[in-house]
Amino acid sequence: MEEDIDTRKINNSFLRDHSYATEADIISTVEFNHTGELLATGDKGGRVVIFQREQESKNQLHRRGEYNVYSTFQSHEPEFDYLKSLEIEEKINKIRWLPQQNAAYFLLSTNDKTVKLWKVSERDKRPEGYNLKDEDGRIRDPATITTLRVPVLRPMDLMVEATPRRVFANAHTYHINSISVNSDYETYMSADDLRINLWNFEITNQSFNIVDIKPANMEELTEVITAAEFHPLHCNTFVYSSSKGTIRLCDMRASALCDRHTKFFEEPEDPSNRSFFSEIISSISDVKFSHSGRYIMTRDYLTVKVWDLNMENRPIETYQVHDYLRSKLCSLYENDCIFDKFECVWNGSDSVIMTGSYNNFFRMFDRNTKRDVTLEASRENSKPRAILKPRKVCVGGKRRKDEISVDSLDFSKKILHTAWHPSENIIAVAATNNLYIFQDKVN
Amino acid sequence: MEAQKEAQRIMTMSVWKMYHSRMQRGGLRLHRSLQLSLVMRSARELYLSAKVETDEAELSPFPAAALAPAPNLPQPMTVAEAEDASLQVSEEAIPAPEPMETQEARVNEPAPACSRLPPVPNATLSQHSMKPNRKRRSSSLGQCGEAGLVPSKKARLEEETAPTEGKAEVEAEDLERRQSQAEEGPFPSLARVLQKRFSGILSNTGGPPKPTAPPPSCELQPGCRQADNMINILVRTVVAF
Repeated sequence: MEEDIDTRKINNSFLRDHSYATEADIISTVEFNHTGELLATGDKGGRVVIFQREQESKNQLHRRGEYNVYSTFQSHEPEFDYLKSLEIEEKINKIRWLPQQNAAYFLLSTNDKTVKLWKVSERDKRPEGYNLKDEDGRIRDPATITTLRVPVLRPMDLMVEATPRRVFANAHTYHINSISVNSDYETYMSADDLRINLWNFEITNQSFNIVDIKPANMEELTEVITAAEFHPLHCNTFVYSSSKGTIRLCDMRASALCDRHTKFFEEPEDPSNRSFFSEIISSISDVKFSHSGRYIMTRDYLTVKVWDLNMENRPIETYQVHDYLRSKLCSLYENDCIFDKFECVWNGSDSVIMTGSYNNFFRMFDRNTKRDVTLEASRENSKPRAILKPRKVCVGGKRRKDEISVDSLDFSKKILHTAWHPSENIIAVAATNNLYIFQDKVN
Repeated sequence: MEAQKEAQRIMTMSVWKMYHSRMQRGGLRLHRSLQLSLVMRSARELYLSAKVETDEAELSPFPAAALAPAPNLPQPMTVAEAEDASLQVSEEAIPAPEPMETQEARVNEPAPACSRLPPVPNATLSQHSMKPNRKRRSSSLGQCGEAGLVPSKKARLEEETAPTEGKAEVEAEDLERRQSQAEEGPFPSLARVLQKRFSGILSNTGGPPKPTAPPPSCELQPGCRQADNMINILVRTVVAF
């Protein structure tokens, strides 16, 4: 279906011939910026790698805007909470870009406890001709200085530097699962299992608590917050999803503490599908507003659902991602796969949605034509610039030549994180420690 | 029968996962703990309802004491307990590996159904209840095939009181309890059962609620302290589910 460009993470380049993956290299988040020029990835080792799209040149028509490494920096380090005797993982849970307002790029990155605002800027000129020190930086002997000159800026090799501009710490007792930038570009929210805090970018020592679902008695806890996002256009509206499969839409104008929702989205459970693990597979792992702001998409373990904000009692569309796993839930519980948190994404026009699955498969659903496709992100099965072949999982009975049976699926190869370019058909798919970038075929 | 075994296996697995989640880097994950406790609760319900059916079918006159402690084994690592980053957490964690090792060994044995167990567990229990050493008590878990459930340290005291009651009485109560539990969620039934069981004791005392008719095993220990512990256990058991 699409041209394949395989981009290996810079840290792994020397491991080309090795089949193992260091755990620190496992990609934990992928995000395009608002123009699609930059693509950021975060990994379990606390590093952020930013890729930049090459400018399209007339000379190299077939290399249509490849992504190359632009900047790499260590965003978070492992920390230790001495009070609770707990280690705080450096894994980057989420990255969110701010819209570009000047020459520099800004992004938010978060681990379990701390959110950081990073400024990524370029330097391609440096001053030369200082009076008091020479070009190497050594102080000149004042006696040798006989003339005075004005330093001039001369071009230099491009250097990209990342600096932490703000650190928003100590506001979350539980593990942060989401961050979302408000459309006012002045505030953002961070959500953990039980609380959501609203921050101003300029103020790091304070945040407003806007949602708190912690019960007075923790033993009465029945649900946790799993994801949260601001409305793309209305700065007062946000949604958060829960482990019970419900979504709440809140309006910050209603009250300071948005414990009472404005809208409550829940689909009644289908009794025929009730099983032992019903409760945990209904937990929503990701919630995303459409670009239009009219719809929200939720991902639970087996399905993706599209909801109309105007209808709370059921989703308008439900897509089965890998329903063949429904009969295997017990084994998936055993190997912990049932707890995997898959993300989902919209394309730029909100006509196609995409989510990941196992065996390095990812699925796309066209909302208009109702067609879906399963593709695989793997080096063995796709050569660079080859067209991806649709894959099919055989559920039972006779297995055709190209099909793969459910029992042959590799559950250690899971695609949890994907991203779609905001305006073009370019997708980024994270498969464990590898990043795959696919584009539409040129001709 | 199959459902019972499956439920038991899942309960054991859940406890194991819960224990291991504490050892993970980054600390206890609230969402994961909640999900594990949900699965454990479902497994327990399934196990008990399957057991009710088995018991009814067999109508066996086996010692009820073997069955008695079954529904009273609270989950030591509920989400709430687990999430309190306090002494409670470490307390609960400590006995967990010990009983689990014993359990898994028992699970692997070709163990008969709980109802078939000979009076050994009963004897074991009363024997253990005499011992002042807490650690030893907590490893006497494997009785009556309830290997999937890991009771907490404190809860063990409650269990020991159970077998010392009249066997027939307990058996009847148990069946009733399990039936009602099969119908409703565990919380209301468990609370009601515990209420029923100890209401006699409570009404006898008048004043501050404490079980003043403790079983013989408890006479060895200072009465007041024992009672306080018992009430704490009751509260914890009821609330924890």
